[in-house]
Amino acid sequence: MEAVANEVQKTVREKRPFTLLTILKNRWFLYAVSMVFFFWLWDFVGERRILGSSLARPHEVLIQLADMVTNPLAGKSLFGHIWASTQRILIGFVIASVVAVPLGLLMALNPYINAVVKPVFDLLKPMPPIAWISISILWFGIGEASKVFIIIIGTFVPCLLNSYNGVRLIEPELYDVVRMLGGNRRQEIINVCFPASFPAIFAGLQISLSIAWTCVLAAELVSARSGLGFVIILGMNLARPALIVGGMVVIAVVAWLTTLLVTALEKLVCPWKREIEGM
Amino acid sequence: MSVKESGVVSQEKGQDGYKIVCERISKEFIQKGTQRVHVLEDISVAVRKNEFVVILGPGQSGKTTLLRIIAGLEIPTTGRVLLDGREVTGPGPDRGLVFQGYMLFPWKTVMGNVEIGPKLRGVPKKERREIAARYIKLVGLDGFENHYPHQLSGGMKQRVGIARAYVNSPEVMLLDEPFGQLDAQTRYYMEKETVRIWETERRTVIFVTNNIDEAIYLGDRIITLQGKLPGRMHAVYEVDLPRPREHTDMKFLELRHIITEASELTL
Repeated sequence: MEAVANEVQKTVREKRPFTLLTILKNRWFLYAVSMVFFFWLWDFVGERRILGSSLARPHEVLIQLADMVTNPLAGKSLFGHIWASTQRILIGFVIASVVAVPLGLLMALNPYINAVVKPVFDLLKPMPPIAWISISILWFGIGEASKVFIIIIGTFVPCLLNSYNGVRLIEPELYDVVRMLGGNRRQEIINVCFPASFPAIFAGLQISLSIAWTCVLAAELVSARSGLGFVIILGMNLARPALIVGGMVVIAVVAWLTTLLVTALEKLVCPWKREIEGM
Repeated sequence: MSVKESGVVSQEKGQDGYKIVCERISKEFIQKGTQRVHVLEDISVAVRKNEFVVILGPGQSGKTTLLRIIAGLEIPTTGRVLLDGREVTGPGPDRGLVFQGYMLFPWKTVMGNVEIGPKLRGVPKKERREIAARYIKLVGLDGFENHYPHQLSGGMKQRVGIARAYVNSPEVMLLDEPFGQLDAQTRYYMEKETVRIWETERRTVIFVTNNIDEAIYLGDRIITLQGKLPGRMHAVYEVDLPRPREHTDMKFLELRHIITEASELTL
């Protein structure tokens, strides 16, 4: 076995003497320096009112957020608003991906479907999703439907493009492997097409998710009675900078958490990828 | 050692007793709609059962195309390929192909890659695992069943490729420059392994390479192709050196000299 495994290697960590320089060069130490500096600068600018009274200091934001947990704002607590936005994203994102991913696969696999769908898709593709807001309010009113519609419009494109390209970019010789072993077309699709396009599909889902957050915020900024975009716009109207910045912070955190969710799903479906990244 | 210059196999011999017969194969590709590329011209080869034939030619001599035609992955423009007297019309599990670029499925483990053949044929899980395990052992990868391809070195990847082709028990093994991407050391070692595996599980082998040493080390017979498109047959050499062969053996070097001299004329 040694003969085969002669390339198996182990990384041995060298113990270096502990000096001031090793602390200064330590990665985690530098991370901490970076964070402390950022918050200090933020607090400094807020305290000295360099940007007028429009920048809330970090602790003011924290107090504001803690207050929102217990005291409802416009009928909803902080978590109520988070859920309102998240719910819109989930509905829109799920509808878009359930339709767009299989459609992209079909387009890549069937030239006729591709020839019918692609021209329309190419026509609508360059349109920024936010450009649809006004017309979607006219069509669907100011309720949930118009916001979900914007999210579907925004997430449909990257979902479809990535599953389409994921299949198109598969090394053709991988199909030959299945053909040589006696597989038919259906087996080629199941054994090569699907697994080989998973990474691209998940990349599309990740992109879609961040676009979904942009879309839902834009839609909520225009017209909404709940959601994180609504919290921000309320802060602006009431001239409460802490509310605005608080809303922004919460959006960043929630968007990050939903991204983690998709990453976790990807690791579950594509276990081989995780180890490539870990190398 | 007998050397037959420009010894294109004659038709009078008949096709009986030959495992694979290529009859006057030529191939033209049409590139970008209009441009024609003439890749192979009038290739006739007959391979006996359990014979190890090496097709030797420099890059761009159409040897990969020839192998893909025998595999059934490409259709010849003229001529035909006979397997046991029956015309080849497409790829099938009676021939095993080992790819130059390994072509393993990165989403499958070594076991998953090797068992794909029987899996496609609907062999039950327990049974196909047993067959796959046998061939994983044959290529010397036992203990690595649960590794993913990216965790393996180039030589180990190609071992998986060989096991995957062997697992269907094809009558003919086709190898397309299988060690072209390996370093010289690993390459020598893999050539040795190829002979060992072939001697354990005898098959008719067609091995494509651009390496003269590799050709002489492995082949019962070497067919050289001319070094410019379209690829034409140049010469056939019988190699009757006993195995295991030595790269520094006098007869080995003599034959190497003959082939080198002859092929330089055509380069």
